[in-house]
Amino acid sequence: MLPQHEFLRNQTRRAFFKNTGLAAGRIALGTLLFPELLRATTAGKGERAHPAMPGLPHFAPKARRLIYLFMNGAPSQMDLWDYKPKLAEMFDADMPESIRNGQRLTTMTSGQKRFPIAPSIYQFAPHGQCGTLVSELLPHTAQVVDDLAVIRSVYTEAINHDPASTYILTGNQVPGKPSIGAWLSYGLGSEAENLPAFVVMTPRWSAKRDAQALYQRLWGAGFLPSKHQGVALRSSGDPVLFLNNPPGVDAVARRTMLDGLAKLNHETYERSGDPEIQTRIAQYEMAFRMQTSIPELTNISQEPQSVLDLYGPEVTQPGTFAASALLARRLIERGVRVVQLLHREWDHHTDLPRDLPLQCRDVDQACKGLILDLKQRGLLDETLVVWGGEFGRTVYCQGELRRDNYGRDHHPRCYTMWMAGAGIRGGTVFGETDDFSYNIVRDPVHIRDLNATILHLMGIDHSRLTYTFQGLDQRLTGVDAAANVVRGILA
Amino acid sequence: MNNPSDLSLFFGRLHPALVHLPIGLILLLAAAEWLARFPRFKQANANAGLILAFAVPLSMVTVLCGWLLSQAGGYQDQLLAWHKWTGIGTAAVCALAALLYSLDLKRSYRACLYASVLAMAVASHYGGSLTHGSDYLVRYAPQPLRGWFAGQPKPAAPAPNPADFTQRPVFAALIQPVLQDKCVSCHGEEKAKGGLRLDSLAAVQKGGENGPVVVPGKLSEGGLLKRIQLPPEDEDHMPPSGKNQLSADELALLEWWVAAGAPGDKKLAELKLPPVVERLAQARSGAAPVVAKVTPPKPLAEVLPVADKLAEELNIAITALSPKDPWLQCNAGINGTNFGNAELAKLAALGPNLRWLDLGGTGVTDDGLAPLVHLVNLTRLHLERTTITDAALACLAPLSQLEYLNLYGTQITDAGIERLQNPKLRQLYLWQTKVTSAAGKAFMEAHTDRPQLERWKSEIDQLQARIREAQISVEFGLTLTNAPATNATPVNAECPVSGKPINVAKTLIHDGKLVAFCCDDCKAKFQNDPKPFLTKLALNSTTSEAKKNP
Repeated sequence: MLPQHEFLRNQTRRAFFKNTGLAAGRIALGTLLFPELLRATTAGKGERAHPAMPGLPHFAPKARRLIYLFMNGAPSQMDLWDYKPKLAEMFDADMPESIRNGQRLTTMTSGQKRFPIAPSIYQFAPHGQCGTLVSELLPHTAQVVDDLAVIRSVYTEAINHDPASTYILTGNQVPGKPSIGAWLSYGLGSEAENLPAFVVMTPRWSAKRDAQALYQRLWGAGFLPSKHQGVALRSSGDPVLFLNNPPGVDAVARRTMLDGLAKLNHETYERSGDPEIQTRIAQYEMAFRMQTSIPELTNISQEPQSVLDLYGPEVTQPGTFAASALLARRLIERGVRVVQLLHREWDHHTDLPRDLPLQCRDVDQACKGLILDLKQRGLLDETLVVWGGEFGRTVYCQGELRRDNYGRDHHPRCYTMWMAGAGIRGGTVFGETDDFSYNIVRDPVHIRDLNATILHLMGIDHSRLTYTFQGLDQRLTGVDAAANVVRGILA
Repeated sequence: MNNPSDLSLFFGRLHPALVHLPIGLILLLAAAEWLARFPRFKQANANAGLILAFAVPLSMVTVLCGWLLSQAGGYQDQLLAWHKWTGIGTAAVCALAALLYSLDLKRSYRACLYASVLAMAVASHYGGSLTHGSDYLVRYAPQPLRGWFAGQPKPAAPAPNPADFTQRPVFAALIQPVLQDKCVSCHGEEKAKGGLRLDSLAAVQKGGENGPVVVPGKLSEGGLLKRIQLPPEDEDHMPPSGKNQLSADELALLEWWVAAGAPGDKKLAELKLPPVVERLAQARSGAAPVVAKVTPPKPLAEVLPVADKLAEELNIAITALSPKDPWLQCNAGINGTNFGNAELAKLAALGPNLRWLDLGGTGVTDDGLAPLVHLVNLTRLHLERTTITDAALACLAPLSQLEYLNLYGTQITDAGIERLQNPKLRQLYLWQTKVTSAAGKAFMEAHTDRPQLERWKSEIDQLQARIREAQISVEFGLTLTNAPATNATPVNAECPVSGKPINVAKTLIHDGKLVAFCCDDCKAKFQNDPKPFLTKLALNSTTSEAKKNP
């Protein structure tokens, strides 16, 4: 049976009375309880793409925008941020069983006969006024360390990339939940009329080609209306496909066609009431506006050389992390709420000394450039920048351990992330791990706490930004465990 | 002036506390005698003998203490002499009255008693003058009354006239009022503790027994600042604990004055005043603050519909900052140069409700910024990447709440930022402007309250020192890790033999673990043959472990 026929067959007299009766009751109750709801609709929001939810933000925000630099694959914390000098004398020593303490391992190393300690071969030095220790692999980021709050005690439960990335970015290891950008778009709306509220970029990387895959659900809308999902800009060629009108179609014809299409879509919506149809109408309109806004966005010829220099030499090559970081700044300047960069291949099970420096070179200068550029424009004050991966890496070596070569397996019990910008106390180091960077000894920060903190800085109480789905008041921080804002890094 | 011993000072200082006892008793005696004249109350003076027995020795002791206190000096001689002799007189007449009472000469007794009340009233008046100042009682009395008491009206404070104020000499205008408020009650005409008077410029310059109190230009010398800055619990801290202390602003003022060479007659207008002093001067001058009258914001429910309409009309974003407060944020930058002066004028309708305003990259110009004066509650203002020049900054003067101002990429120059006087401004962005870094640094310095920062830093240091002092560290030395610690917790919560709750005193070490039992019998059974109980022990200990790590 055709879906239309099935739909019509279900429109019985009883169904009609039931639906209208319930709807009338709901409206009456709703307006009695929340009179402002009626006002909001009658006052008319016009065609505004992304209004904020009523009552949001819950309190005055510190950050208006979020730039999330996601290092997919899990950067090694003890080679970059978590200095462990005592390991130097323990090369190839067996990791004490008391440290591992029955911890679940991935199948990549669970069969290993021994777990030899692989000290980092990289030098650490204190930087900035705060004196935070940073690895020599991040010489540029080290220059802005006074603006960063480095959290050395982030932890998660997932031990493989797919569930772990899904967990930190959507709040649940099981797919199907909205991503953090979608939640923010849903809650706070967008200020940009010509650009999506949530833009995603997946810059290319320099180390070995076989990197962990990315999945659209990492920036998806889950059960939220699909207009809140991140719009991914492509890293090579046109950032958005099919933006140019096809040959023989000019802007006027395009507009006429879209108007006709919108009329048809409206009629369908009147009949079926499916909110996804409104999303579709909005997306056609957004695409039309993006025909002008995207070329303007990606044209960086007006950027002064001094600014380009901040991001490093790769900034002029589209698709690099540096170019994406510059675009991120340009996007938030244009009112985009959330920009997420997902940089791949940080998964160094083997040959870490070969690959990690290449990856660091991709992002290091651009991270500094982004911070400094935002700062000189007075935007760092209103923008939250987050850097980090989905979990950490083990102190023990995976595979063969040599003085100059080693690999590290997945490690969920502690890793390092940093935050900078609006509402963050720069120069902070939060949390502490044991001598093996294996267990947290002070101030653990679950990824839920991290997400609660991000929402807090954006003016949202994480426990009150909810969406009813499958009988639960779903939220980014999950429904079954407490999450706490990390006060120790707040300004 | 001789130096009294500590002990004599200790007793001396009891005088102000003791003195009220004989006063009360003598008044009571007089009242009783007076009442006894009426037949209805003729028993009123029945216990006069007992009261006298208290009053006479107490008044003697009080006089003695007073005499000891006077040895410390620092009192105006004439006042002191009057108080001393009338006080001694009171005690003496009171003693005489007691003698007459015991001789049953009731008439003379009464006359004597009334005389001692009279003497006491005079003594009390002078005593009060010594402690609180001669015009203490009547300083705030209604004008006619004050004239009648003091003989002359209190010189009225010069009428506050903001224009004249800057022409007044700095000592009289700013410094003297602080000293008058906080110091002169002990360092003035009637009482000059430590031989120091602070009621005139000449007296301040002269100093006291312990040397000069103000060394012009030298903050670290001179007793005045040194003593004020001592921790409050220090014995030498001034004003003494319990007295009205100087506010941080007043201290900052004194510091500035000393650092500036302690000028006396220089006019305020001739001196460069740092912001904190400027603020105090403003307050003293009685002039209304320069900020425009702040219109209170309207309730959110009232302005939101207006805001929504405006946002739609102007194609910009206006949202509430939070549902709890009436504040709005507005991003007009998203509409770029389509948003110009005419559109900004319409935003004035939101007036006092606008908190954040982003005009970055819009088409607003110098001529169109006048509507900003209505946005009196703005805290954040973006004007970057517009064509504005120094002329535009005049419109920002009424924004008394402004904390964040972004001017990057504009035509602002050194002369422009010098005009910025928004008191709460904390962040200023000047990248890609014509402002030189020297001018920027000077602006930063001029708007940073260094002495205040220094004071806070030293306060933090003092607090940290107190935290260190309040802690105790106990050193155990090294414990041998392989020897089981005597106070270790047993691995089990229930006796592996009987299943009853354990007694922590009945333990033994099995397989390196501390196992506890309910009684000695069970322990003995386990010691004989642990095997039958091991399964139970394992179960038992896992559950207690699980409880520890949920």
